[in-house]
Amino acid sequence: MSPACAHIIDDDEAIRDALQWQFRTRGVECTLWPGAEAFLAAWQADWRGCIVLDIRMEGMSGLECFDALIERHCALPVIFITGHGDVPMAVGALKKGAFDFIEKPFNDNELIERVQRAIDHDAEHRRAEADRGTVEARLATLTAREREVMELILEGKYNKVIADQLSISMRTVEAHRSRVFDKMQVRSAVELAQILTTLRS
Amino acid sequence: MPLLPAISTQDNSANRRGRWIGRLPYFVLALFLATIALLVWMTREYDAEEQQTSLITDVLWMEQNLRFQLDRNEALLQQVGLDLLRADRPSSQTEAQLRQLMSQDRGIVRVLWLDQHGRLKGALPPQTDSGLVGEADGTVPAESVMKLARAVGRPVYGPAYPVVGGKFNFEVHVPTWSDDAFLGVVVAVYSLSDLVVRELPWWFSERYRVAVLDPDGKEIAAKSKIAPLATYRSYTTPFEPPGHGLTLQITAYKGETRWMPVLLIASIVLFGVIIVWSVWQLRRQLARRQAAEQALRHESAFRKAMEDSVITGLRARDREGRITHVNPAFCRMTGFSAEELVGATPPMPYWDLDQLEHTLEVHDMVMRGGTPTDGLEVSLRRKNGERFDALIFEAPLIDPEGRHSGWMGSVLDITEQKRAMELARQQDERLQATSRLVTMGEMASTLAHELNQPLAAISSYNTGCINRLDAGQVDPSELRGVHEKIGRQARRAGEIIRRVHDFVRRAEPKREALDLNNVIRDAVGLIEADARKRQMRISSQLTPDLPALTADPVMIEQILVNLIRNGMDAMVATPAARREITISTRLLGNTLETRVCDHGSGIDAATVERLFEPFFTTKSEGMGMGLNICRSIAELHHGRLTFEPNPTGGTIFILTLPTERP
Repeated sequence: MSPACAHIIDDDEAIRDALQWQFRTRGVECTLWPGAEAFLAAWQADWRGCIVLDIRMEGMSGLECFDALIERHCALPVIFITGHGDVPMAVGALKKGAFDFIEKPFNDNELIERVQRAIDHDAEHRRAEADRGTVEARLATLTAREREVMELILEGKYNKVIADQLSISMRTVEAHRSRVFDKMQVRSAVELAQILTTLRS
Repeated sequence: MPLLPAISTQDNSANRRGRWIGRLPYFVLALFLATIALLVWMTREYDAEEQQTSLITDVLWMEQNLRFQLDRNEALLQQVGLDLLRADRPSSQTEAQLRQLMSQDRGIVRVLWLDQHGRLKGALPPQTDSGLVGEADGTVPAESVMKLARAVGRPVYGPAYPVVGGKFNFEVHVPTWSDDAFLGVVVAVYSLSDLVVRELPWWFSERYRVAVLDPDGKEIAAKSKIAPLATYRSYTTPFEPPGHGLTLQITAYKGETRWMPVLLIASIVLFGVIIVWSVWQLRRQLARRQAAEQALRHESAFRKAMEDSVITGLRARDREGRITHVNPAFCRMTGFSAEELVGATPPMPYWDLDQLEHTLEVHDMVMRGGTPTDGLEVSLRRKNGERFDALIFEAPLIDPEGRHSGWMGSVLDITEQKRAMELARQQDERLQATSRLVTMGEMASTLAHELNQPLAAISSYNTGCINRLDAGQVDPSELRGVHEKIGRQARRAGEIIRRVHDFVRRAEPKREALDLNNVIRDAVGLIEADARKRQMRISSQLTPDLPALTADPVMIEQILVNLIRNGMDAMVATPAARREITISTRLLGNTLETRVCDHGSGIDAATVERLFEPFFTTKSEGMGMGLNICRSIAELHHGRLTFEPNPTGGTIFILTLPTERP
């Protein structure tokens, strides 16, 4: 897994250079890309960090690049850099799932702070992603009957009702219940509901 | 003008009188001819009457003459009778008298004398055979006649009887008495023809044919065998003596033609014919003239209606400049009535008082030689004091003798037109300004982005430096490099501002020597960012060392920017690889040619026609002013703006500008 870094995509060499300098003074790793095409060509799914994307660029524009990234299910948060006139465009991008946008010229460390937030957010996301993977693995160990029982438990039904519904004995329900709790490594129905909620969101 | 009805009333009465006058000659002519005919007839009548009178006179004279002859013979016969009947043999004296009776042409062919018993006593010429006497009825001398003569005691004439040779004779019995004793009769036998032929003098027979008719109307003796040509004129009178129903018919030969009256009549007839002919000719002439007059009146009415209907003011002036005629449109235009205007002399009442001198000058010029073909513009004044602009065209008036008698001027009120033109010009100017503003707005947006770039960079460099200072990690060499970069970005921003300033500054066209290539570079610099944004390339092929151009750099730049932008707009649908605009310059003689080639959609035929029209645009948000203004600017610099299709697709706009101002 590569280390987290900010990918700066801008066609203006001066902007790229200035941002690199600023990021270095805050200890944020960054990679410079002179255009969207170059970035997309090099993109790897396991890259971490965030993307700083200029909306107006020669060649492929920032918005086009963003659309391409969505298509590739790239999870990296995107911060748009806009000129004064491009704000409506940036708002449209936010609705599509962009992390943030910032107008040129930038105030002090506003950009870098947002970049750091984006990198943190990415890290968090990665962790959640990892958790989800664990729960999914545990779920995979459940038998069909156990999964049925688990669904009914999650609906908040009592053992007796479950037994009636599935036409099995109370004792059998209880055995399934304890096996589900064991396999999902939870101690209560509430805890079970919590880990599954994260998964299903 | 109420001239027309007056003419028509006059016409009517003139017509009526004209008709009367036209007919009068015919009446008079007819009367005259009738009078002449009557005169001729009367003259002839008179002539005939005169001839008749002279005929009668002559006839009477002849009758008288015959009677006298017969009477004389009677007397002579009576005289010789005594002697003849008394003696057995006539004395020699009596015989001489008898011979005289017969020798002189008295119409007596024979004398017989009978005794009281009717026995023939003697005859001269002597009678040898009594049978020969009374050739017709054998009773000659007729006893009845003798008896009658004896009874009445005076000479008695016997009836006419035919004799040998187709002739007729008659006899006269003269009773002779001696002392109351009847002695006998002396009978003289007359040859009717001899009497008539011999007894009449030559002049009479020359003029008349004399014939003796028996009671049945048969001609028994005639003075001329030749019948007259026609029964021209004749007179019949009883032949008495001898009586017995004989009549004398005197027929005048056709008298000699009287040339004088014939000639007179002939000439009268001839002149009459000539008069009739000339009157007829006159009538035709008159009819022709009337037709022409009618046509003229029609034409005149037509022209008048035409003149009244036009909205162009018309006014005629004589050579002194006096107004002789105005039409209603002119009156409406100036507000003066025709009465006020006709006869007016310069200065005219409708002249603008403020420009009296100028107008008078124009007037004099017109009087000298008319107006230029495109008219003369003058400022005039209406009666209500309102001023108006008029365009005047003058044409010389030529009278029927071919003399130049004055001027006919048409006056157009062009106030509205001028106002509209002024309005259009102002609108045009405003639109030009608006277009400039619209272009400017788009440009400003591009420039804001352009300017944001260095500013954003400066801001980031600056924040980085502050971060370093805050952290106390100050490396002078590192900071120096960063500050140099900051300076460069600041200069970049300044350059952009300068270009904007140059472009925006709205000034009167400056005439300054400039390098066309530099202007092109500036224009490309202005629009490059926009082109980049739209993934279009602008390349230049500039011929170096071009001669300087005297022009307004901002205006020329505006043309170029406009052309480049148009080219870019045309290339929206072009594949990205071909989105290129090429600008080239070259020197052609005294002109500099700039070509702006795009690879766009080209210009279709319908658009070609209207490309430079104001407000014509193919762009959804265009105003249609750009190319119009560009061309205006080119023309302002004595140049031209044209276009042609690009052989490799798209369009080439060509701007040519002269290097030297003429």
